[in-house]
Amino acid sequence: MAIYKRGYERYQGPLTSHWTRVLVLPRFAWRRLFQQRLVLILMIASLIWPLLCGLFIYLSNRLDLLQSLPGDIKNMLAINGKFFLIFMNVQSVFSVLLAALAGPGLIAPDLANNALPLYFSRPLTRVDYVAARMAALVGLLSLVTWLPGVLLFWMQSGMAGWGWLTHNWYLGTGVFFGFAAWILVVSLVALASSAYVKWRIVAGGLVLGFFFILTGVAEMLNAILRVNWGSLLNPTRSMYIIWSAMLGQELPPGPGVWECVSVLAVLIVLLGMILERKLRAVEVIS
Amino acid sequence: MTSSEVIFTDVSKFYGEVLGVNKVTLHIPSGITSLVGPNGSGKTTLMNLMTGLIRPGRGSISVLGISPSEPEKLMRVTGYATQFDSSPRWATGMEFVTTGLTLYGYSQSDARDRAWQALDQVGLTEAAERKVAGYSKGMRQRVRLAQAIAHDPKVLVLDEPLNGLDPLVRADTISLFRRYAAEGRHVILSSHVLQEVDLISDQVILISNGMIVAEGEIRGVRDEISEHPSQFIIRCRDASRIASLLFCEDHVTEIKMNDDRLGLLVLTRNREEFSRALTRIALAGHTIDSVIPSDESVDALYEYLIGGGRS
Repeated sequence: MAIYKRGYERYQGPLTSHWTRVLVLPRFAWRRLFQQRLVLILMIASLIWPLLCGLFIYLSNRLDLLQSLPGDIKNMLAINGKFFLIFMNVQSVFSVLLAALAGPGLIAPDLANNALPLYFSRPLTRVDYVAARMAALVGLLSLVTWLPGVLLFWMQSGMAGWGWLTHNWYLGTGVFFGFAAWILVVSLVALASSAYVKWRIVAGGLVLGFFFILTGVAEMLNAILRVNWGSLLNPTRSMYIIWSAMLGQELPPGPGVWECVSVLAVLIVLLGMILERKLRAVEVIS
Repeated sequence: MTSSEVIFTDVSKFYGEVLGVNKVTLHIPSGITSLVGPNGSGKTTLMNLMTGLIRPGRGSISVLGISPSEPEKLMRVTGYATQFDSSPRWATGMEFVTTGLTLYGYSQSDARDRAWQALDQVGLTEAAERKVAGYSKGMRQRVRLAQAIAHDPKVLVLDEPLNGLDPLVRADTISLFRRYAAEGRHVILSSHVLQEVDLISDQVILISNGMIVAEGEIRGVRDEISEHPSQFIIRCRDASRIASLLFCEDHVTEIKMNDDRLGLLVLTRNREEFSRALTRIALAGHTIDSVIPSDESVDALYEYLIGGGRS
């Protein structure tokens, strides 16, 4: 046995906080995402609709012509819950496309390259890892969902005045929390697909398939069985019903708000379970 | 409990029905320790257990007094380089090591300084700003080693760290391990190149089918294998005469003479007696140039304790 001198001393200097460390991962992910031309193009395309909505808000508050239109037409062009519901619907499609494009690259390559031990042999838990990956998607999707939505809300409030704001404050909270719930669902679907399938392209297809195929399946069920609860299988429809309630709009025929909330909660738990099962430092193939 | 050792106490790990390791009890002191065993014997499982990547189903583990249930503390004292080529191809070597350090909590400037030092230690500074995608296999192996040592760990765990390295870099890497060991740190590595394990290890752990077959210094382990006689090569002028004298000893089981008649291979069941017999022969005026144990190596231990099917 060799005799060793104990000359080793560890680093005793300051360290960054836990969350600063966790945010290192999304910072790198964002940099990589914005280097992808397709993501950039889709991002720009998804901001066209908010710009048009902003223009519409400006015109509806500034043009005397619109103010002088007859009641019915004026109501149709009013900035109200319906306006924000349409806005949210359009942006939700873009958010799914963005998630399908950006989400699979977040986890699938780490799994394919056996890189998880690299992360987990550092002071980073599995929850931290998922939170970091989700933060990358949340940041990206926020840019096309609640951020422009809330901006539009404040723009309208600023132009229409205090009276409009006091009567319609729930539209602002509805846009924010409605989109927050949507981002949670979309991000989890993207991450779970990315963790389930190691190939990026297939994982992207899985994200799109999840939303579009489930929509078709739900409609088929409704048509074949002549029921309307089939819509519960369609997360997009369930979210639309929740948004309608949040924005004070008449609920479309079909399942109620709480049924939709319950189904989405179950979906979130299931997606969380997939991530828990797939994201292990060591993969065992028995 | 000693806080300067890596201690496994009755540790078992099963992956469902697949055996990882079973009832492992180990005390690993500082220095270079090599894990030796065939593929699927449980070497990587042991490494994953001591770095806290997986938890044992049974038993307890302590790394310098830290339990894997305190990952935040554990991962600051351990550095791990897996056998997988998992460095991101899009990053430069510098970015890869720096990012790892920021995950440990170093500031960006500290991380860059330390990353540079680590890359310097593995001889990769010239390629530091090149993308990992353009690295050779050996360079990727070295950048993995750099990310494992960059935060100055006290316990360095390396899965097949010498694979893919050319002889020159291999020698540099081994001297890096020796330097670490000389500072009182643990360097725990697995290798299939038994000659190298022999050369660099202070102690070995032989593992087969998830069970520890032997652990300790190579000489000590060899001494305890009584069913295989010890082998010695004797170089001498009067080989036939010395052979006849050794044949009179009870403990000598076999003697083979070299073709040049200047050397003998002697098999003995008692090393102490053999040593005394050689002293007597030398004192009687016979010239013995050298006596070299020929099976005090990891290679021999592997052969005796684990047998064929070496990977």
